[in-house]
Amino acid sequence: MAQKGTDKHLPLTEATYYILLSLVTPNHGYAVMQEADEVSQGTVRLAPGTLYGALTALETSKLITMVGTDGRRKVYQVTELGRQVLRDQIHRYQIMLENAVNQSELWSAITIEEGEIL
Amino acid sequence: MNTLSKFKWFWAWQDEKEEAWLGEMAKNGYHLDSIGLPGQYIFLRGEPGNFVYRLDFQGLKAKDRDSYYQLFADAGWEHVGDMGGWVYFRHLVNGSEIPEIYSDLESKMGKYHRVMSYLIIFLPIMIIMMPRVADVELFGPFRGILGLLSASLLLLYSFAIIQLFRRISRLRKKGI
Repeated sequence: MAQKGTDKHLPLTEATYYILLSLVTPNHGYAVMQEADEVSQGTVRLAPGTLYGALTALETSKLITMVGTDGRRKVYQVTELGRQVLRDQIHRYQIMLENAVNQSELWSAITIEEGEIL
Repeated sequence: MNTLSKFKWFWAWQDEKEEAWLGEMAKNGYHLDSIGLPGQYIFLRGEPGNFVYRLDFQGLKAKDRDSYYQLFADAGWEHVGDMGGWVYFRHLVNGSEIPEIYSDLESKMGKYHRVMSYLIIFLPIMIIMMPRVADVELFGPFRGILGLLSASLLLLYSFAIIQLFRRISRLRKKGI
């Protein structure tokens, strides 16, 4: 169940989801870019202009906050609100995934296509 | 040092044309080194290279500038110059993938929104100023010319805003 105050931030875009996920621990912008690319298996590529704008917007809406610097880089981390938004988003993904799992027809089709047992 | 200074004017809605031109210059061995006066491009002569140029517009506060340039540098973008709020970046092209500074439509539209709001701020000032300029006795015989000048400036501003608006709606509708 979505907590009060997080609804207006949901659903997150894929890019924002990976940015917040990466900022559960303190990180600077370029580390966020690399992590998003890696953990999304290359499906989410963040260009610097896009990331800069996203970080600024997330900071304005208080989902992340600056916690320090690394040379000229700003280091950010999620706030408690940001954490809660992330949890609520993950909960939504769980529901979405469960719905897919229950569609056995779709699931077996994927299994055959991928040629592996999921 | 072998340099080439070139004057060329691009309007606010022609950033992609400008980017393409700078890329062409690099293919001919002229690499943008800096921007002198507005519209003055200073190139360094070197080996022809495949570079992509991108112009960003952020309206940054002074305190945010360092971290902004650093993020682009970390991502492989070289900061080449600035002109009137525009920031010029360059990236080497390796293989078939063209590097971009915006990875989604939403943020790319955001850039044009910022340029547009920057222009819109000045619009009311010009509307207020225009009849005054044409009316001040002090300017004497130049009144007509000044009035005409400010009227054309106002027209140009309005045209720029319309063009940027069209650019945004093309991105929204066609995604390019």
